[in-house]
Amino acid sequence: MTVLVKPRVLFIGLSLLCLLAIWLSLALGPVSLPLLDTLRAALRMIGLPFAPDGLEQAELILGQIRLPRTLLGLAVGGVLALSGVAMQGLFRNPLADPGLVGVSGGAALGAAIAIVGGSAFGGLPEFLGPYLLSLCAFLGGLGVTAMVYRLGRRNGQTDVATMLLAGLALTALAGSIVGLFTYLADDTTLRTLTFWNLGSLNGASYSRLWPLLLISASVALWLPRRAKALNALLLGESEAGHLGIDVEKLKRELVFCTALGVGAAVAAAGMIGFVGLVVPHLVRLLAGPDHRVLLPASVLAGASLLLFADLVARLALAPAELPIGIVTAMIGAPVFLYLLLRGRA
Amino acid sequence: MRLSTRVAALCAGLLVSHHAAAAELPQRWVSAGGALSEWVSALGGESKLVGVDTTSQHPESLKALPSIGYQRQLSAEGILSLRPQILVGTEEMGPPPVISQIRTAGVQVELFSAQPDLPTLHANLQHLGKLLGAEDKAAQLFQGYQQQLDQQKVRVTHAQLTQPSPGVLVLLGHAGGKPLIAGKDTAADWLIQKAGGHNLATHTGYKPFSNESLISLDPEVLVFADRALTGEAARAALFKENPILSSTRAAKDGRVMELDPTLLVGGLGPRLPEALKKISDGFYPGTAAQ
Repeated sequence: MTVLVKPRVLFIGLSLLCLLAIWLSLALGPVSLPLLDTLRAALRMIGLPFAPDGLEQAELILGQIRLPRTLLGLAVGGVLALSGVAMQGLFRNPLADPGLVGVSGGAALGAAIAIVGGSAFGGLPEFLGPYLLSLCAFLGGLGVTAMVYRLGRRNGQTDVATMLLAGLALTALAGSIVGLFTYLADDTTLRTLTFWNLGSLNGASYSRLWPLLLISASVALWLPRRAKALNALLLGESEAGHLGIDVEKLKRELVFCTALGVGAAVAAAGMIGFVGLVVPHLVRLLAGPDHRVLLPASVLAGASLLLFADLVARLALAPAELPIGIVTAMIGAPVFLYLLLRGRA
Repeated sequence: MRLSTRVAALCAGLLVSHHAAAAELPQRWVSAGGALSEWVSALGGESKLVGVDTTSQHPESLKALPSIGYQRQLSAEGILSLRPQILVGTEEMGPPPVISQIRTAGVQVELFSAQPDLPTLHANLQHLGKLLGAEDKAAQLFQGYQQQLDQQKVRVTHAQLTQPSPGVLVLLGHAGGKPLIAGKDTAADWLIQKAGGHNLATHTGYKPFSNESLISLDPEVLVFADRALTGEAARAALFKENPILSSTRAAKDGRVMELDPTLLVGGLGPRLPEALKKISDGFYPGTAAQ
């Protein structure tokens, strides 16, 4: 695979793209705020003294609605793309996707349990109530991934092929249980479940944001340290072993980071497909397979893609809004196909 | 003299209270809930509505208003962009963080129960009437509503003296295909009961059904609610997609009735008594026009 773009150019380009996405995400929305008001409200929020007259509304929309939403989009997009790179590296296959180790299926199962069976948890402490869905989704993702990993281990070795098949089987099993819950659900819970499966950055609030920011920041700091090991793994497991890489440890870390990152992202924003599969692939088409470039570049690209998709989600049907999963697939799939076919010509 | 001072005082009082109320009452309304929007319109507040959710389909003119999407999937900024002073909705309205964001922005948020019973409707109408400054109208509407339901009850008890209560199945479908059967704890079940029939389905909620169990229940009356088609087209599609239905007693006796599916959403709406009457006409032929 040839490198189309030099790493430095790629990083500058992606950083600018990401900054543009952040700015647009803060500046645009169904409520049209004058650019000057947005700027002044932003400056006031970082503590600069500006005349507060008439800025309350702008400050509220910027600080309580758009900023948490933008941060959520950045974290979710970044961590989904990063997990995609980890999975594609682990399975040494560019078609791998974070769902393969069962994290999405498990999260969906956890969410279905919370949404449909939520009322059965009647005796929950008050403070847990609003977070039940997120918590169940997160734990479901972690739990199923842990099972997949256990099933893939034999004699102290992790067999990636077994893990892949175990992931498929458990995802199917989780899917069938979700189906059962769908059957048991009444009309309103059914719609909640459907919408959850399409993802949304709607209703982002700081209290839900912090756990995700913490987890995605740690994953984003940790994984790039393993870039060289991932590069070695591209040659094959035994080859990587001969190069002095502790392959078992690397696999464990990759699976753990993915489960943690995707689990947290899904818990905060519901299922958002496509980003984890396509963003790493796109970056690889542009910059080649070197993980030292691929990992950080995917974070920037994933975050930008998600913010742009969210702009469409909140503006296209305003004052209503589209689930973001629909938008990521609608923007991403044609772009992906175009790049694939162009690469072939 | 005494009379004229009284009249003058009364007029002044009316004027003042009217002015005070008008100043405080919210003038820009967003409604998330089909039945609620209908009641707001019925209470004369339609011109105050600046946005409605996707379940608000009646009266027809509401469809021209900006749509804020599905009531459980609202967008804070989207709703704020309509600059509402009040957001009314059922308790299902959400997601919760969005509702609190809207509250923080200074919009009055009023929740109403969607429970399908008269005490709830009474409370809801009083509440809405107060918010719209139309308390008298609300009381009047509720009285009429109660009267209609009372008449309905009398009629059903009367009819049941001479005719047995028919066994009914309610089929909720989309262009005829794979209908769901309404079971216990659904608005459709409540409707059937009030109309004097008994629901043959014993499950809870809306569930798909096998053709065999449908035949074995052998309903005397079929009521269908189609989300895509209406009238003859819906009936034809239903029987075309589910030919087995034509062997039921209901089909043979020609007792297949249509129900507007929007009646089943979000609590008791103003069009309900009328629909109940029509269904009762079908349940107890010959007892109509009392």
